[in-house]
Amino acid sequence: MSMLSKLEENIPSLRRYAWTLVRQSSDADDLVQDCLVRALDRLETVRSEADLRPWLFAIMHNLHVSRWRRRRTRPEVAAEEMELAMPPSQPAHAELRLALRGLARLPEDQRQVLLLVAVEGFQYGEVAHLLGIPIGTVMSRLSRARDRLRAHVEGRERPLLRSVK
Amino acid sequence: MTNPGCPIGEDDLHGYVDGGLDAARRRAVEQYLAAHPDQAARVAGWQAADQALREALAWKAQEPVPAALNLAHLVEARLARRRVPWRIAAAVVAAFAIGSASGWMLRGPRPTTGLAAVALEATAAYRVFATDPMHPVEFGPDQEPQLVRWVTRRLGRPVAPPDLSAAGYRLMGGRVLATEDGPSCMFLYENAEGQRIALYVRPMRKRDMNAAMRPLHGNDTTGYTWARDGLGFGLVAGAPLPRLHELSNRARAEMRSGV
Repeated sequence: MSMLSKLEENIPSLRRYAWTLVRQSSDADDLVQDCLVRALDRLETVRSEADLRPWLFAIMHNLHVSRWRRRRTRPEVAAEEMELAMPPSQPAHAELRLALRGLARLPEDQRQVLLLVAVEGFQYGEVAHLLGIPIGTVMSRLSRARDRLRAHVEGRERPLLRSVK
Repeated sequence: MTNPGCPIGEDDLHGYVDGGLDAARRRAVEQYLAAHPDQAARVAGWQAADQALREALAWKAQEPVPAALNLAHLVEARLARRRVPWRIAAAVVAAFAIGSASGWMLRGPRPTTGLAAVALEATAAYRVFATDPMHPVEFGPDQEPQLVRWVTRRLGRPVAPPDLSAAGYRLMGGRVLATEDGPSCMFLYENAEGQRIALYVRPMRKRDMNAAMRPLHGNDTTGYTWARDGLGFGLVAGAPLPRLHELSNRARAEMRSGV
């Protein structure tokens, strides 16, 4: 399989990751587009197909850090936007909504590690390389992220719901 | 990662959740969890939260990819960006499409350099300008001194059209063109039968500063490319002309003595 079609295969998951980073559909697709344009410019530097996926996510991460980070949204707003963006066909499991809300409330560095490991399926070493941090930092962020998300999903940490009631 | 005798740590619990442990370590973690219900509840909670997250985000990766992220469009836009002006860009895109779209797509978009770039650009220049009935050149045959001054200034070294009249081709004129490496130029000639040939000239960068003459094959063009002293040349005709090789040799000899 060619690099180009391998690149194409990764677009849906790049969109998913971008959306969870930026939490706004049009900005997320702009980020993916920037990422693809850059990737096309340097596709010949990728040595093997196994390297392609971490490399793509690293490009997107760096773009996000350099250009997009300033557009922070408040976590509550972000959580609501994410829920609103879910298609109506999505089963409205309370647990799924809680998971999204919990995700939005995580500090960005924890959220990135959790998404890359739990949703995108990267290995710890790949995440460390991709984010440019030591593997020990990956593991400690993963621990904190998982504990917080678990607390949120299990309903032990729900300030947003409590304030609504 | 760790030997089976080591005490179970946080990393092992994550490794267990993410399927990153070997069988022995996995069994050790299972034994540890059986003996530590609080940690077992924690790990189960992580797994449930991860699963909820994956389900909550699955639809995003299943959405149709918007047109703005269509890879074929992005590849095309990238090519156009790399080759100013647009007429050349269009010609190059067309050359790719007509020539070997499938092969090129399968190889991935490697930048074309050296004599291969000369062949591509010379062919594109011929396709666009030599076939233009109205305005193929900027400076006509009566303005040869202006043409020479123009291309010499833009290419940064003395370049003049060779005299091919002995072979039956008279100079129609020429123009400066653009490549991603900077200005290039083209001289256009015509014989008594109205058959046109283009002599394309560009400064080379790094690769093929000197290169032996080799044939150039387009779908509807033929010709030769070569390079000497950092200048690349492409002589292109619309049909297989019987004396094209001889003509290219003549042009090469003329360019050498003239520069």
